[in-house]
Amino acid sequence: MSTCQQFREWVEPYALGALDAAERAALDSHLAAGCQDCAKAVEEARWVVSQLAHMAPEAAPSGMLKERLLQTVRAEAKAAESTAQAPTGTPWWMWGAIAALLFFAVMTERGTLQLRKELRQAEYQAASYQKEIQDVEAKLELAKRENVILTDSASVKIKLAEAGPEQPRVDAIWHAKLGIVLTAENIPAPAGGRVFQLWLIPKDPNGKPVPSGVVRPDEDGKFALLVANPPGDMAETSSLAITEEPAGGSLQPTSPVKWVGATR
Amino acid sequence: MFLAAFTSPAHREVSADATLMRGLLHNDVGAFERLYDRHSRLVYSVVLRVLQQAGTAEEVVQDVFLQLWRNAAQYDESRGPFVPWLLTLARNKALDTLRRKSERQRRREDQAEELPAVTIAAPQYEKALDEKRAAVKVRALMDSLVPQQKKAIELAYFEGLSHSEIAEALKEPLGTVKSWIRNGLLRLKEELQATA
Repeated sequence: MSTCQQFREWVEPYALGALDAAERAALDSHLAAGCQDCAKAVEEARWVVSQLAHMAPEAAPSGMLKERLLQTVRAEAKAAESTAQAPTGTPWWMWGAIAALLFFAVMTERGTLQLRKELRQAEYQAASYQKEIQDVEAKLELAKRENVILTDSASVKIKLAEAGPEQPRVDAIWHAKLGIVLTAENIPAPAGGRVFQLWLIPKDPNGKPVPSGVVRPDEDGKFALLVANPPGDMAETSSLAITEEPAGGSLQPTSPVKWVGATR
Repeated sequence: MFLAAFTSPAHREVSADATLMRGLLHNDVGAFERLYDRHSRLVYSVVLRVLQQAGTAEEVVQDVFLQLWRNAAQYDESRGPFVPWLLTLARNKALDTLRRKSERQRRREDQAEELPAVTIAAPQYEKALDEKRAAVKVRALMDSLVPQQKKAIELAYFEGLSHSEIAEALKEPLGTVKSWIRNGLLRLKEELQATA
């Protein structure tokens, strides 16, 4: 039996990952030596092995998984878009303009006065760009934080409301160190300028609800709220609740709880 | 000759999935959603079968799809069709998680973030073999095997066991296990070709 023939018998179990270490190492070396026929046979065997996936009993992931993923990729897409659009510094042409203005300033007194005015404008423009960059960086930082909260295995998922289609769905994901991401859909907008407010309900029976962030749903009935620094610890909080409050929120609930979910 | 029935990956036409993967390069959330809708059930089914625990399975599926989103540039369509490649990625991740759990290591630690760079050669008849027919054929074939042979292939695919580990688990001679697995896969290859 030639070497290649011997290796051919290992091709299918190799693609399946069933070869023992010594055999696998031998076939790896053979492939690394450049045997095109065996490499091709391995590539074909990988396709056959991939079909074994159909042995798995059919199952479907929860709708929440898709929602979580879409929230994450939307946040990342938005952050990437903002980064791409943000100016990366003072444009070259502005430095050119400043240099030209400097030249004319030394030529005439009048030019100097004009230059000062132009310089102030240029500085103001540069400061404005700087602020824009800082804003984008801050948004990116929040998007990254939100993303980690949504995907980290240490985060705790809290369901505040979930009914059938077209019914309100409210979920919170709480990471003990990074904060809370609250998301909802199918939420009717509160009347006037009123808002929804998140409350941390303490485990201590004598404790009072701790006020947190406020939010209003968009025109599609959705909202997402990142509370980067929750006003209480998860370990001391029994549940999260949402009430409807006047614009700006309240220090204590002024209306009945609309949605609530236990932290554990 | 059977091997001649396989296409050269370089000459394969661009699939819908490859087009959607290109959309991911442009941060196209719609393309991501369509990819998820097309394949999440099969990916989840495999991962759940490996891990046997819905919560952990969802975490792995989430990792798989986020890796697609974040590393779409690493997908090379010239190295093979998308679905087998995606299933390879999902199975590898699920088996890694299973091994880490058994070794009591923390999830995500030293988890490779790079997508697999394997090349997969699909046969020409793949186009004539839709997913449902392939699923029916695979299940029928597996059910036709003797129970121990089926078990051996399941232990290799879903639990990542080697020949020796399977022989030990089933208390069967090593040579018998090797024959079962190889012959089972060769039969599967022939049956799928015949179905197409």
